[in-house]
Amino acid sequence: MAAVPKNVAAIAVAVLIAAFTAGSPEGLRYDDTLARRSALVAQPFRAAPTDVPPRRIISLIPATTEMLFAMGAGDRVAGASNYDRYPPEAARLPKLGGLLDPDIERVIALKPDLVIVYDTQVDLKKQLERARIPIFPYVHRGLADITQTMRALGARVGAKAAADAAATRIEQQLAAVGARVAGRARPKTLLVFGREQGTLRHVNASGGYGFLHDVLEIAGGADVLGDLRKQSVDMSTEMILTRAPEVIIELHYSGEMKPEAFEAERRVWDAMPSVPAVKTGRIYLLDGQEFVVPGPRIVVAAERFARALHPEAFR
Amino acid sequence: MPARVEAIGGVNRRPVRQRLLWTVAGFGTLALAACLLAPLVGSTRISLAAAFDRSIPYAENIDAQIFFVARLPRVLAAALVGSALALAGVVFQALLRNPLASPDTLGVSAGAALGAMMAITFGLDFSLLGISAVPLASFAGSMGALAIVYGLSTARRRGTSAVVLLLGGVTVHALLSAVIAFVQYLADFTQTFRNVRWLMGSLDVASYAPIVAALVPLFVAWAGFATLPRVLDLISVGSESAAARGVNIERTERVALVSASLATGAAVSLAGPVSFVGIIVPHLVRLIVGADHRLVLPASALFGGAFLIGCDLVARTIVAPLELPVGIVTAIIGGPVFLWLLFRRM
Amino acid sequence: MLAAADVSFAYARRGAPDHRVLDAVSLTVRRGSVVGLLGPNGSGKTTFLRILAGVLTPQSGQVTIDGRPIADMGRRELARRVAVVPQETHSAFDFSVMDMVLMGRYPHLGTFELEGPDDQAIARDALAATGTSALAARAFATLSGGEKQRVVIAGALAQASDALLLDEPTAALDLGYQLEITALLRRLNQERGTTMIVSTHDLNLAAALCEEVVLLKQGRVVAQGGTEATLTAEHVKLLYEVDADVQFHPLAGHLTVVPLARTR
Repeated sequence: MAAVPKNVAAIAVAVLIAAFTAGSPEGLRYDDTLARRSALVAQPFRAAPTDVPPRRIISLIPATTEMLFAMGAGDRVAGASNYDRYPPEAARLPKLGGLLDPDIERVIALKPDLVIVYDTQVDLKKQLERARIPIFPYVHRGLADITQTMRALGARVGAKAAADAAATRIEQQLAAVGARVAGRARPKTLLVFGREQGTLRHVNASGGYGFLHDVLEIAGGADVLGDLRKQSVDMSTEMILTRAPEVIIELHYSGEMKPEAFEAERRVWDAMPSVPAVKTGRIYLLDGQEFVVPGPRIVVAAERFARALHPEAFR
Repeated sequence: MPARVEAIGGVNRRPVRQRLLWTVAGFGTLALAACLLAPLVGSTRISLAAAFDRSIPYAENIDAQIFFVARLPRVLAAALVGSALALAGVVFQALLRNPLASPDTLGVSAGAALGAMMAITFGLDFSLLGISAVPLASFAGSMGALAIVYGLSTARRRGTSAVVLLLGGVTVHALLSAVIAFVQYLADFTQTFRNVRWLMGSLDVASYAPIVAALVPLFVAWAGFATLPRVLDLISVGSESAAARGVNIERTERVALVSASLATGAAVSLAGPVSFVGIIVPHLVRLIVGADHRLVLPASALFGGAFLIGCDLVARTIVAPLELPVGIVTAIIGGPVFLWLLFRRM
Repeated sequence: MLAAADVSFAYARRGAPDHRVLDAVSLTVRRGSVVGLLGPNGSGKTTFLRILAGVLTPQSGQVTIDGRPIADMGRRELARRVAVVPQETHSAFDFSVMDMVLMGRYPHLGTFELEGPDDQAIARDALAATGTSALAARAFATLSGGEKQRVVIAGALAQASDALLLDEPTAALDLGYQLEITALLRRLNQERGTTMIVSTHDLNLAAALCEEVVLLKQGRVVAQGGTEATLTAEHVKLLYEVDADVQFHPLAGHLTVVPLARTR
C-alpha cells in the first residue's frame, strides 16, 4: 500500500471498527431475497422527540453522508466528518472529526437536530443526550445493512420515499451485477486488504465475513479463505501457496495511485509463480474509495469486482 | 542458589577446552537439526521428493515453492534473529553487569521500532537494493539510538561506566518510547494496524534479500563478538580488576556496545521486535554450561537460533491454517520461564 | 624492585582548579618486602595503587619496575609483573571458584588461547597455597567473606606476578577472617617471597604485616621507613589527628596501636 492519505484510510477504520464492534456471529449474506428482507422492517432506532423532519443533520460517518445526499437530503446536512469527500458538496461541509476524535463542542455549537453517530462513540452520545440532541446510532455488519440503514435513515429524516427508491435502486443494481455473472464458475479469489509495500509481508486479506466479502460473492467470486469466517486474516506465504487462488484482487483506498505503482506492486507477486493467479496474470489492483465506504457507491465496487472476476461477461 | 556449580555432568571439573568442544558440538547439533527439520514441518503437508525434483519446472512445483519461498527463508531468518538477539542479550548483560539486561534495555530496539513506525506512518516509499523502506528505516533508527547512547556514555569518562551506560540507555529507551507513542497517535487506522502487526514480529520474510541484507551488519557484529568472550568474564568480576589484569576496558566496552547494537538492529529490522529471546536464552544456557562467556557466547548463538526456530514452528502450526505472531509465542514461553529463573535465584 | 619517582596526579574538575590527589610521591619497594601504604581518607592511597597497577596514568613522574618504566610496558606485560587484590569482589554471574582463579591466567594467554594443563596446575597450586582447594567447585557468590578474599588472593597468585597490590584487604572482613588473611599474606611472603604493597586504614594490620610503611597525607609522603621506626605516636597524630598509644605487644609479636582521643 502506497502512501495512503490519512483521511481516506480513516474511512477504512471507521468501517472496520464499526463492523467489529457490531459483531454478529454470522455474516449477512446477500442473496436475491435481500430486497424482500429489507422491506421487513429495520429495527426501530431511537424515536424522534417530535414529528418534524430534522433540518440540520450532522453525519460523522462518510457512508451515511453519502446516503443522505443520495436520498436528496444533502441540503439539510450541516456538518460532516474529516473524511467525507463524496459528493463534492460533502467535502465542503464543516469538518467535525471522525470516529476516534469527534469535535463534540463544535457539533453541539452547530445546533443540530439530528446527529448520526457510531454506536461506539459513547462519550459523544452521552454529551448529545445531555444536550437533548437526538441521535441516530449507526451500526454496520454486512452488505445488507447498507440498504437497511438507508431505509431507516430515510424514514427518520422524512425522506422515506426517496430513500426507499434509492435503496431499491442499489439492490436492483447489485442484483443486476449478480445476474450478469450468474451461472459462471466462481474463481477462488484472494481479496487483499493490505500488505507491506514492495514485499509480500504482512498480507492482510478477507477471511470470509463482512461487506467486502459479501460484495465479492455477488460479483461471482469465491473467497479463498471463506471457510475461516473472519473479517480479516493475516496470511502467511505458505497459506497463499496452499490455497492457490485463481484471482488476486488487491484493494487500495486513496483513489490516487499511479500506473507505475500498480505495475511495481503486481510484480511483487512473481515470487510465487505456482499460484494460478500469478501464472495467468490475473492480479488486479483496484484503487478507490468505494471499497471503504459502505454506502451507495458499493455498487461501483461490485461492478469493479465483477469486471475483474468475469471480464467476458462485460464484453 | 545452588551451593555447587554443578553444571551438567560435573562439567566444571573439566578444562575449558573440552567443555568448549562439547558445548559447540551439543548446541551445534541442536541448531543444525532445527534448521534441517523445521522446513519440513508446517501447516501443509509437502513432499520433499517433489520439492527437490528438478524435472518439475519451478513455476509448477508447489512443494518446491512452499519449501523455498514460504519455509526456508523463514527458518533462516529465525536462526539469524534468534542467534543475534541471544548474543546481544549475553553481551548487554555482561556490559551492564546485570543478568536482567536485554537487547531492549538500552533503547536500541526502541530506536528500531521508531524507525519502522515512522516509515509506516509517514508512508515512506523507497527501496534500496531490493530492501523496502520499513526495514531500512528500522535499522537506521536502531543506529540512531546507538549513536545517542554511545555519545552519552563516552562524553564523561569517569566512575563506573556500567552505571552511566545503563542510565543513559534507559533514558534513551524511555524517550524513544514516548516518541513512538506520539507517532502512533499521528497514525490513522490502517497505519496503526500495520504498526501493531509489525510490533508483534513476523519471520515470514518470503524472500532471501532481507536475510542477505541483515547479514551485513551481522558479520560486523560477529567480528566484534569474537574478541569478547574472555574479557567479558574479567569485566563482569570488576572493571578495575579486569584493567589490572590487562584488559582495555574502554575499547572492550565500546566494541561490546556497538556489536550488540548492530546485532539487535539487524534482528529487529528483519523480523520486528521479538521479546524474551535476549533474556532467557542466555540464562538457560548458563544453567547448562556455567558462566564462562567463552562457552556462553557460542552456546547462546546456537541455542538462540534453535529456540526461535522452534517458537516459529509453534507459531505457524498451532492454530493452522492461521498463524500466531512469533512474538506472542516467545512471550508465552518466555514469560513463565523467566519467572521460574527468577524464582530459582531467590 | 618497584620504584615510584615524583609521581603526581590530579583529577580534572569542571569550573574548578584540578583536584590534586598525589604530589611528587616517591618510594622504593625492595623485592620480597611487604610495604604498607597508610593514610587517612583522601590521602591518595587508592589512586597511587591504581597508578601502580597501570589503571591510571600520572601527569608527571614515573613508575618503574626493575628499572623499566611501566608506561613502556603493554597492559598484559604489566599484569604479569603486578597483580591487584581489591577490597571486595562481586560477580554478576555464577562463576565457580576455579573460574575465578583461572581468570588470573589471562595476562599469560593470547587473545583466543584457552587455558592448558599448565595453567590448570598453577591455579590448583594457588588454591592450595591459600587453603581453598576444597572450594574449587563451589559458586564464588556463596562463599563467606574470608573465603572470598582467599580465593581472590589465589587468583592474584595464579597471575604469577612479581608483586601483589592489596587495597584494604581486610576492611570488609570480621575479626576472625582478618587474622586469617593476615596470616596467609605473611606466609605467602615468607614462602614465596612475594613482594606486597598493602594500602590500609588498619594500623594494626600494617604493624602485623608490613616491614616498611609509607605514610601519605593529602597526596604527600610525610614519612617512610621501617615499621618499628616509622609507626610512632607522633606520626599517627600527624596523619589522623588522633592521640594513640603505640606499643610493642609481646604476645602478638608486633607493634599495636591503640587510639585514645582526637586531638582536634
